[in-house]
Amino acid sequence: MERNKKVGAVGVIITIIILILLVIFTNKSTENISTIENIANIVVVPIQNGLTYLKNKINNNDSFFENIDTLKAENEELKQKNSELEKSLREFEVMKTENEQLKQQLNLAEKYSEYTTIPGTIISRDISNYSKTLLINVGSNNGIKENMTVIAEEGLVGYVVSTTPTTAKIQTIVDSASSTSCLSSTTREIMVCKGTIESESTLKATNISTDANIIQGDSVETSGMGGIYTKGIHVGRIKMVSEGTNKIDSYAVIETAVDFEKLETVLVIIQ
Amino acid sequence: MNMKKFLIHLSLILAFIFIYLLQSIFFTNFTIAGIKPNLFVILMLFIGLYTGRSMGIIYGIIYGVLIDLWIGKNIGITSVCLALVGIVGGIFDKNFSKDSRIIIIFIGALSTVLYETAVYILQIILFNINVEVLSFIKILLIETIYNILILVILYPLIRNSGYEIESEIKGDKILTRYF
Repeated sequence: MERNKKVGAVGVIITIIILILLVIFTNKSTENISTIENIANIVVVPIQNGLTYLKNKINNNDSFFENIDTLKAENEELKQKNSELEKSLREFEVMKTENEQLKQQLNLAEKYSEYTTIPGTIISRDISNYSKTLLINVGSNNGIKENMTVIAEEGLVGYVVSTTPTTAKIQTIVDSASSTSCLSSTTREIMVCKGTIESESTLKATNISTDANIIQGDSVETSGMGGIYTKGIHVGRIKMVSEGTNKIDSYAVIETAVDFEKLETVLVIIQ
Repeated sequence: MNMKKFLIHLSLILAFIFIYLLQSIFFTNFTIAGIKPNLFVILMLFIGLYTGRSMGIIYGIIYGVLIDLWIGKNIGITSVCLALVGIVGGIFDKNFSKDSRIIIIFIGALSTVLYETAVYILQIILFNINVEVLSFIKILLIETIYNILILVILYPLIRNSGYEIESEIKGDKILTRYF
């Protein structure tokens, strides 16, 4: 009996460790994987070097070594050039994203200045994996009513489903039950964006007209149709356009501007 | 109702509030590949297994209505599905031994699959959402594994407190099964 208890306790501890490891590893971003790669390299590279040295010794070919010397020098030079190019490319990319962000912020500040908003903090998130509703700490006492549009600094979040005196429930646009009427900014093509259960950062745009011109990377905003969302609020960018076997079932994947996983404060448009 | 029974019901309500807070605050960040576990299924199974089918249904409906009021899109789906888990617990209570860790884990996995499938089907019918079978299976699989891991961790607690509650709630009825 005593032994059974001990075995049980060890089992529980092992399970806790497995659970924590699973959570950490499945949520790690790719940049952290490079650390593992580095560790692997530290182990593998000396062995590789040793084996190559041995191979060269065995071959013992003079011309081969001469060639190797010139190749080495050339290789070195090319590597240097490559690293310089990579460096400038990185700088360029940083500048590009910075530029985009600044443009976006400027646009948003101008766009949303006309609305009267009330800020709210998210106090609870949905408990299930299939729906993505939020609860915020402002309610009907603060003047919040049903069907009001909710935005964040980056763009559209969702709308108010119900209120209590001190809280409001928001159905986000990424919730699988929500549909948002949108249009693409440049080509003004109308589409219906639906949330998916698969991802918390993408929407599936359907009901696209057969002769529509959808451009990848184009920004998407609310169309104002449907009577809930105010017109012209930034939703996200078109990430991918998929043309099905026939034009009717073609759809686009839209990456939302708002990062719902990190979202903490929202603005409710009251006017 | 005596004092002990009252305390049991009070602790079941407190457990519900504690799990709600865990689920909506802690587990939104502590996920496996972005998927949360479902502790309510485990709680409902526990109630069904150790207090019987009728209590399982009553608690399932009460918990479900509260969850739907707080965070759900409409009232009903969670109630029906949690009551379903309570019924499953009640059925297994009558037919299987609760001493086996494996059986409890098996029932836990089965209840999770049943609950999530029922919720998803009801959502498809009521909200006309897109059917994404592959994504659903992926979520279901990870969630079930997560629930199994939690059940393994919580099993000693479930067994000990379960027998306490069972002997108090069922009283004499429990003896007829064993003798």
